[in-house]
Amino acid sequence: METPSPYSLLAELTYRCPLQCPYCSNPVEMSRYAGELETRCWKRVLSEASSLGIVQVHFSGGEPLLRDDLEDLVAHARSEDLYCHLITSGVKADEKRLGQLKEAGLDAIQISLQDSRQEESDWLAGARSFEIKQSAVQAAREQGFPITLNIVLHRHNLGQLEEMIELARQWKVDKLELAHVQYAGWALRNRAALLPTAEMVTRSTTIVERARQSLAGQLEIVHVLPDYFQQFPKACLHGWGRVFLTVSPDGSVLPCQTAREIPGLQIPTVEDGSLEEIWFQDPLFQRFRGTDWMPEPCRSCDRREIDFGGCRCQAFLVTGDLSATDPVCHLSPKRFLIDEAISESETAERELVFRSGPDGF
Amino acid sequence: MTRESQTERPRLAPGVRYRWDAMREQHQLLFPEGLLVLNESGAAIVQLCDGRTTDQMIHELEDLVTDGNPADDVHQFLARLAEKGLLRDGNS
Repeated sequence: METPSPYSLLAELTYRCPLQCPYCSNPVEMSRYAGELETRCWKRVLSEASSLGIVQVHFSGGEPLLRDDLEDLVAHARSEDLYCHLITSGVKADEKRLGQLKEAGLDAIQISLQDSRQEESDWLAGARSFEIKQSAVQAAREQGFPITLNIVLHRHNLGQLEEMIELARQWKVDKLELAHVQYAGWALRNRAALLPTAEMVTRSTTIVERARQSLAGQLEIVHVLPDYFQQFPKACLHGWGRVFLTVSPDGSVLPCQTAREIPGLQIPTVEDGSLEEIWFQDPLFQRFRGTDWMPEPCRSCDRREIDFGGCRCQAFLVTGDLSATDPVCHLSPKRFLIDEAISESETAERELVFRSGPDGF
Repeated sequence: MTRESQTERPRLAPGVRYRWDAMREQHQLLFPEGLLVLNESGAAIVQLCDGRTTDQMIHELEDLVTDGNPADDVHQFLARLAEKGLLRDGNS
């Protein structure tokens, strides 16, 4: 089968961040990857991405606004006909920066929030940030950006779901993304303290469905369900090396941002070749492309091209086998490991470990 | 703002852009975290979403559409875009 070109690039400009969320998607061992690509190099990467067929760039981090060349990179990406989306904590997103980003051609902004309540949100972020985020949303609205408010859901904030929806309405954002924690990296370390109960998840689904109906046309709500409580795995990345490409702060080129934490993988960097060479030829990208690599029960499953065997990182992190069926699948022989984690979390009351590592200040 | 008024003088919502993908030879409508691949008539309609009235759009498209009913096509397509939140009312 011919390998398609990717559509989407996640450009992780830095791992530095003023916040310390205990479910951060950055590597737990961030200090191992402290280097950051220079402006010139990022521009080359963006040009190569465009030639490869990338359509959208998500400028992310860490906190991408900590790079003072962000405007320059956005302008360059726009000159390469790329759609530019900024994923930010909102801290540092003041009127001046947002105005400059508008001028540079930024298309849209996603701002994270940790909770609908100031005290809880600041606690989860590990820093006073709620009011700054509120100002950032307002400033982004004044610039005319479409705004997505992103709230990561877990045991400590799931009870505030109705308030979150009301706040998104009051803050007049275009879209509210309510995404349950994905248990890798920092979140896996904090899994026992973050997992909700099945009852909480069921209740939250009802709340979101009701809100979707009553706010139709006013607020779009995206609800990313927790795969631990589902029957089938997520179609992670829509397939390995199929649609998405990540370039990390130090120039590592990855099928997804989590894959770098899997030991033993040979990870190419932007110095090893063009993005096109890496995408089509590098063994890392070929490894789980298509369906030939699949073990049973995936290999003969009707859903093999729907969920692509689920998440490779989750397979490794939970079962120790990178090629295993995603253990959240009810057909996986290792599903019991997920069920055990859920029952353990119901009895265990554990402290959250907050993200540490390179910060912005 | 009602659904009806959104499609009276439709404009693409902020952050929504039409793009011709030369590599894939594809009409695309880009928006935050997504894209729609458009067919020829969809692309023609989208490029007329500049604040003119739907009737004016239909008039423009009559020359382009040889089979079917352009009025139905335009209304249905615009309703789908509005449903996805990709349109704004051009009067505002």
